[in-house]
Amino acid sequence: MFEDHEIISTIEMVKNENLDVRAVTLGVNLFDCISHDLEMFKKNIRKKIITHARNLVTMCDAVGEKYGIKVVNKRISISPIALVGACFSSDQMVDIAHELNAIAKLVNIDFIGGFSALVEKGIAPGDQALIDALPSALAQTERVCASVNVATTRAGINMDAVLAMARAIKKAAELTSDKDGIACAKLCVFSNIPQDMPFMAGAYLGVGVADAVINVGVSGPGVVKRAIEKNLEAHPNLTLGDIAEIIKKTACKVTRVGELIGREVAQNLNISFGVVDLSLAPTPTVGDSIGEIFQALGLTNIGVPGSTAALAMLNDAVKKGGAFASCHVGGLSGAFIPVSEDLNIANAAHKGFLSIEKLEAMTSVCSVGLDMVPIPGDITIECLAGIIADEMAIGMINSKTTATRLIPVPGKKAGDKVYFGGLLGEARVMAVPNLNLCDPFVRYGGQIPAPIHSLKN
Amino acid sequence: MNKVIITVLGKDRPGIISQVSNILYELGCNLENVNQMILQSQFAGFFIVDPPPDKDLEMLSQTLIKKTTASGLSIHVDTIDGGKIGKEPLKGETFLITTIGPDQKGLVARFSSIIARHNVNIENLKAVFKGGRDPNANIMSYQVFITQDIDTAKLFEALRQTAEELDLDIRIQHKNIFNAINKI
Repeated sequence: MFEDHEIISTIEMVKNENLDVRAVTLGVNLFDCISHDLEMFKKNIRKKIITHARNLVTMCDAVGEKYGIKVVNKRISISPIALVGACFSSDQMVDIAHELNAIAKLVNIDFIGGFSALVEKGIAPGDQALIDALPSALAQTERVCASVNVATTRAGINMDAVLAMARAIKKAAELTSDKDGIACAKLCVFSNIPQDMPFMAGAYLGVGVADAVINVGVSGPGVVKRAIEKNLEAHPNLTLGDIAEIIKKTACKVTRVGELIGREVAQNLNISFGVVDLSLAPTPTVGDSIGEIFQALGLTNIGVPGSTAALAMLNDAVKKGGAFASCHVGGLSGAFIPVSEDLNIANAAHKGFLSIEKLEAMTSVCSVGLDMVPIPGDITIECLAGIIADEMAIGMINSKTTATRLIPVPGKKAGDKVYFGGLLGEARVMAVPNLNLCDPFVRYGGQIPAPIHSLKN
Repeated sequence: MNKVIITVLGKDRPGIISQVSNILYELGCNLENVNQMILQSQFAGFFIVDPPPDKDLEMLSQTLIKKTTASGLSIHVDTIDGGKIGKEPLKGETFLITTIGPDQKGLVARFSSIIARHNVNIENLKAVFKGGRDPNANIMSYQVFITQDIDTAKLFEALRQTAEELDLDIRIQHKNIFNAINKI
């Protein structure tokens, strides 16, 4: 039997601190679906995905019900379409996106990720077709998520791809100008993209993994925040070292919940279990926020001096706790700071505590990048490409994942309100200094070489 | 003789376990299991022993009662079935049913009746009713073993319906979630 405090604390984590499993993502390998015939290819991927995913949602709900822990999102990641559909034109790629959207609706999942290309060292015809298809594909579908990896620590940064992505992002925003450029909320540009990440919009199934695999994204910012608050209330003289220990222990518990549920879903679906992604993923709900953790740590708001240090400590403690809890850790595994998806962070940006420059600095110590950041729609392609390149450089040099999910909101200026809805949230457009510059730097193109520490062999 | 279970009740104080176990030792009994709990100020202890062949139930009972009378303990001794070796353990899963909410008379009676009606065994029950406004001060937690032949959905539905009628928050969770979070 369990002690009273064990029962109560477990129930409180679910009831009051928003503990849930943020995403169970089924990865499906599509390499055996390849065909030069578009209709045949679509038929093959439909059959394969549905075969594996038919019972995904009902199984996640059943397992969630059994443990009293909700699996919030059920998703699918697939092999990069630029690879498995390399022979198709950009128009045909858009057609494939429609097919994926229809499949996602059929199996009742909210997002399917893997409309992706890996172009860190060059753009092949299939990659180009996919990049060209991105704006239309994302504007015309609701559930398809795309990602393009333009840099790695081993390869450097493909600046041609960076510029191409800046163009694609601008165009995708324009095609969805009536919805605040929402197409861009489903598009990530990556440095060092993980191939087993369960979180959208960047999830895809890597080429070196199993035919079908279940990856799990845990949650728990509310749990971490309450753990800090409760301990500080009981012991006001705690040091930051003590608090890091508390975060670590809490992350360990959260991770074990995710792995328990992920493994049971995988076992019941007869699919291999992949990884637990330890990321603290916020939602726009009060009490489920990364920004609130900064306030629990004694900072006025996320973005004020001290925020980068606090995030570094948080990110590290989460990794350590998670790594202790599970041997199968992967994906991004750290803290997310998505602006519109976290009400507290969105408010901090609106009140002037958090600037895009500070946000960029913070991404050098956490697991993502400039995530869900609405920016003025009239930003130049060169300036947008420059921001992407800067973020990619942080990832490349630090041997870590970084990404951008920037939304240049058509017709809107800094401070204007944007609304994406659901988990994508809402925010004010963040100011971008010098957004009218057309500096030629990004137009020189080519490859920024890999850093010296990539020469490891 | 079969194994014997000795139940010891009384006001809690230091030395109860020591006193009873020493008497059993002197009687030549082999102690197999001991469990004790304290509810508010009251001690309850259970001793399962394998007595020597020359001691019968009456003799054990008389000796224990005689030697503990002065300390105010109430002793009950009975034989138990030693367990059927080789019996297939029942297949099933353990869930925790926890209710939190205002104290009312008859809560344990109502919920345990529902559980019994569905032929489910309660393995452990903890109930604390302190009254007051702190929701965590009024908690019942039933650890139940649900065998495969039980209509789980029907049981859970009945429990949830009763909880709603009584304005209680009810959580029904497989015990592994508590293990995952609390037992490392």
